Amino acid sequence: PTRSESDEDDQGVSTGALRWKENLQLKASQAFLQQQEEAPNLRKLVYGSGLDMTGSADEEEPMEELGGLFRISRPQKNRRFGANAVDCSRFLPDSFYTWDLQEMLNSIRDCFVTGKWEEDQD
Amino acid sequence: SCATNNNNMASHGLTYDGCNFFRQRLVLSTLTGKRVKIRNIRSKEDEPGLRDFEASFIRLLDKVTNGSRIEINQTGTVLFYQPGLLYGGSVEHDCNPQRSIGYYLEALLMLAPFMKTSLKATLRGVTNDPTDPTVDLLKSTALPLLKKFGIDGEGLDLKVVKRGMAPGGGGEVAFTCPVRRTINPIQLTDPGKIKRIRGVAYSARVSPQMANRIVDSARGILNQLLPDIYIYTDHMKGANSGKSPGFGLTLVAETLNGCFLSAEMSSTPQGQGEPMLPEDLGANCAKLLLQEIHRGGCVDSTNQSLALLLMTLGQQDVSKVLLGPLSPYTIEFLRHIRDFFQIMFKLEVQKPLEDERKGGDKVLVTCVGAGYSNINKTLK
Repeated sequence: PTRSESDEDDQGVSTGALRWKENLQLKASQAFLQQQEEAPNLRKLVYGSGLDMTGSADEEEPMEELGGLFRISRPQKNRRFGANAVDCSRFLPDSFYTWDLQEMLNSIRDCFVTGKWEEDQD
Repeated sequence: SCATNNNNMASHGLTYDGCNFFRQRLVLSTLTGKRVKIRNIRSKEDEPGLRDFEASFIRLLDKVTNGSRIEINQTGTVLFYQPGLLYGGSVEHDCNPQRSIGYYLEALLMLAPFMKTSLKATLRGVTNDPTDPTVDLLKSTALPLLKKFGIDGEGLDLKVVKRGMAPGGGGEVAFTCPVRRTINPIQLTDPGKIKRIRGVAYSARVSPQMANRIVDSARGILNQLLPDIYIYTDHMKGANSGKSPGFGLTLVAETLNGCFLSAEMSSTPQGQGEPMLPEDLGANCAKLLLQEIHRGGCVDSTNQSLALLLMTLGQQDVSKVLLGPLSPYTIEFLRHIRDFFQIMFKLEVQKPLEDERKGGDKVLVTCVGAGYSNINKTLK
């Protein structure tokens, strides 16, 4: 295909490497970020409502094996989600192509030395 | 008293399900001395059990410890790990190429400061792939972060000796890290403004022009915000270029206060999908960096867990770090830190002021360190 055709093809789905991840995880990632922003209490989102520091022995499966040395430490249901997903540290982007917009560029201008400075930091 | 603490921690084990967060669990197990059991590893899949790359990771863990006990059931769906002494020293490892060296290195970065003997690791395999942080990214972000916590000096180094693109690999990396008896608490709450952007456009077994095309398109986007941009090109030839063709870009924004935010993209591995134009890769990677700057904070999203771990292991004093939004991986890491260390972080969302153009919400994380001291080191 000519260059312009392939550019057009790329508008909806990102090219190459990120495509599969985007398809699989984009929605989940967006929902996740929204959840984090809206959480009245981020601590609750991360640690759950209980402040049980001792892990949890009252799971569906009781103490087992090796003389009961092991505790089940999954008190929250959401921890089962993606239990066998890929172990990867990357934080996939929630938006990708919006960075063509001037308003998006403007939203980070003051992160740079070229942007506006607070009065006490000139 | 610290040793007592560690003994208490070792008195019982933890059980988890599934292969996700595999490294977090084994790393925290090794640091606390708590045994860990992981079951139901891909137990419902056609090919159940541990994959070769996970077995390779376990072998690496075995090499840097003394006296670890590892048991795996016949189908590979259950793993039992009783950590031994974190020994370190000179280690060579062929990292299974299903995952890049970054996968293995992320764990070594967490363990190395706490070893009995300074780690000198030679890791062979894939240096760059689209899945894991590349060695280039870890070199330019994780190492400066370690320095912030006082893990520095000549002994801290990460060198790409040979490049090896996915899927074939054939690369080699040398990682050395000094040991520390204690970790300083840290206050890292103001990233400061970004003064420059640096990068490496690398290519192996393709035309050296590829790297130049990547640089031009990335610059085109980033120059709208900042003039001080320099992207090096790194074209490896012959014996130092690995087994597979490919190219990629790692970008790092450096702030006045010495914080680093990064983004990267690697070309689609040969035979694993449609090839990517270098122009598209350069532009998309530049946009990823803008996204990372929008997230912001003093530590980039890839290294959130490393920062949280070093805060956890710091002296019994308050540590504070400003992060961007927490990644799913980081949230799970916080839960694992609670499991292994009984430490919970204070998490405060900071919304930007109305007239501030500094990206999105940030998260201020605070904890009191566990007062961990490197008993491995003092046992000498």
